[in-house]
Amino acid sequence: MKIRRRSSNLLIEPPSSATGDIAFNLIVFFLVCASVQPDSGRHQTLPRSEETEQKQKKDENIEVVVKRQVALVNGDVVPLAQFQARLMTLLAGKPRPEDKVVVVKSDKDVPYHFWMTVTSQIEDAGGIITLQIEEEREVQVP
Amino acid sequence: MKIKRRATRADVPSMAMGDIAFNLLIFFVILARAQDDSHLQWTPAEASNIESAGHSVVSVLIDSDEKLYLNGQPIGEANLEMKIEELLGDFSVGDRTVLLKVHREATALRFEPVIEAISSAGGELVHIVEEDRDG
Repeated sequence: MKIRRRSSNLLIEPPSSATGDIAFNLIVFFLVCASVQPDSGRHQTLPRSEETEQKQKKDENIEVVVKRQVALVNGDVVPLAQFQARLMTLLAGKPRPEDKVVVVKSDKDVPYHFWMTVTSQIEDAGGIITLQIEEEREVQVP
Repeated sequence: MKIKRRATRADVPSMAMGDIAFNLLIFFVILARAQDDSHLQWTPAEASNIESAGHSVVSVLIDSDEKLYLNGQPIGEANLEMKIEELLGDFSVGDRTVLLKVHREATALRFEPVIEAISSAGGELVHIVEEDRDG
């Protein structure tokens, strides 16, 4: 004789009433996770810009020219591996903050990642960055 | 003979509460996304000695097409300084952080005037970069 198994309706369907609440809590959780992801970066202190004519006297600050792939310190090409050490040597004899100003002049086609590498090394060497930006003016001749 | 008044229950329908909350959430998320710049395409540069940027109300971004955005909205270079000044208002030193996000291949022709504008507006510049693990 076969004994028939008793069928039960318990737990056949998952309870659907709480699905909305679960979804809501999941969304809140992921939103909070996304919003607390902090940005990290490098602080850079730049003095406020002032217009200075190029004809004026050339000061005695260190000048760094950033080209597309190389950087020049006071006109000399310096490999990136030696860049920071070179600047530290130059800045060593300058205790006053105003003497630690490093004038940075970049070519138009310098990529940002290279510019960041150079300026980071200047700051790490103790220099204070000042950007020298050439202003182009259109003059109409009658 | 007294006729007994039938008591009617006036419950707030709770079945749709989850859906209402969900839709409200989606609405505010979309509203918030319109003001941030997470939808823009850019690749950060690398640098060493980076630290947390902290809280900021101003974010300037130059994307992979060298287009300029202020808090996720396109802006011209000429208006940037004025708009940053407006956003920073009377914030004290320490609260005037401006996040600068520049695509790693953007050129100096594009990013230097932006840095100058932030500096002129009195912003405290933070370059958003990735930690350089290669040294």
